[in-house]
Amino acid sequence: MKDFFRNNGLLILIAAALLAALTAVGSYLFQGAPNPLENVLGVVTTPIRDGISALAGWAEGIYNYSFHYEELQAENERLRAELAQLQETARDAEAAVKENERLRELLGLREQRRELTFESATITARSTSNWASTMTLSKGSAQGVAAGDCVVDAAGNLVGIIDEAGTNWSTMITVVDATLEMGALLSRTESIAILEGDFTLMAQERLKLTYLPENTELLTGDLVLTSGLGGNYPSDLVVGTIASIHTDASGMSRYAVITPAADLESLVQVFIIKDFDIVE
Amino acid sequence: MTRQDHVRKWTIYALALLPVWWLEVYVLNRFPVLGVVPMLLPVAAVTVAVLEGTVAGAGFGLGVGILCDAVYYGGWGGMTLGLCLLGWGAGAAAQYALRRNFGGSLLCAAAALAVIAAARVVSGLFTGLAHLPALLEVAVPELLWSLCFVCPLYPWFFWVRRRIHKFLRL
Repeated sequence: MKDFFRNNGLLILIAAALLAALTAVGSYLFQGAPNPLENVLGVVTTPIRDGISALAGWAEGIYNYSFHYEELQAENERLRAELAQLQETARDAEAAVKENERLRELLGLREQRRELTFESATITARSTSNWASTMTLSKGSAQGVAAGDCVVDAAGNLVGIIDEAGTNWSTMITVVDATLEMGALLSRTESIAILEGDFTLMAQERLKLTYLPENTELLTGDLVLTSGLGGNYPSDLVVGTIASIHTDASGMSRYAVITPAADLESLVQVFIIKDFDIVE
Repeated sequence: MTRQDHVRKWTIYALALLPVWWLEVYVLNRFPVLGVVPMLLPVAAVTVAVLEGTVAGAGFGLGVGILCDAVYYGGWGGMTLGLCLLGWGAGAAAQYALRRNFGGSLLCAAAALAVIAAARVVSGLFTGLAHLPALLEVAVPELLWSLCFVCPLYPWFFWVRRRIHKFLRL
């Protein structure tokens, strides 16, 4: 038996065990940062991934132009109408902001502030596992990205949270990942709850809203925002809307299933919130 | 075989692995079947192990395992050791018990995928990720869908092996 192992790659098995132990210790010690080998591979493959991602985007553009031209034209018209409407709303909002400033000054209230520092990034790879929902981004610690940073889409909807930041790449867990947990605020009722990823809902690209206050009246379509409590994440980022309301197996408490506002399937570019300063 | 031949051989195998990796990372993950995406790299490691035997299987499994742990999310060294052991086991099974053909490859891949699925389910239960039925709902289709890829991967690596032998005049 001893000879069998000696003649059949015992040294390779020992090397594998040592490497695995080294990687395990490395992952434990460098939480939030990749181990050196992972980082080097990430650094080397990021430009290639960027290239492939750009090529895929170009191919998708050609495909859409060829086969969905009429749909794109209709969408363009709808977006133009929406833009005109939003421009009007923005003008009204500007007047309201000025009035708000004047009134705050009169009452001697502290000035509201909401400063977010963004870093734009492209999605270079998507999750290849059925056990986690992640995306690889094209920016990393060299650009000031760190674990725990929130990631939003162009409309400001929460897409995910940075879990690991390499030199020029980072890995983000999406809002539907089973390990996600963060404070939430129901926009209509201003009630506080907890957003939780759920393994069963992950495949449907949905998540759970739990620890709901007893008397909170929930309606489907209610907007869910980040609460910002604890100061780890910025407040008022749109997470999604309530799709359905359920009572848990014990029959004692309720939870809601949330549909994320960000379209995780078609995202190409995202914005990482590197820093924030919010005074309300 | 000289040392140079060994280097050439494993470089060709590594290059043959690239399109498999590309397919897994950029194509198949966009088109889930039965709600799951397949695992191609473990199947590739086992297929090469069946064709090349115990030592080579362990070595290739080690390389693929390192790649998995380095490139995929949540790698902590488990795939490095796991794929090395599975490659070693598949190589030994093909060398001493099974035939080095498609059938042997299919059986070894099924066993390897079952071991990976079982490890994930146990780990999921242990960490409280979900209940057993929910975990099985993902693990079983993942195993079956991944197993389907023995059909293209075995001929691919068989062809690569033949080219290597021709190239190195073995």
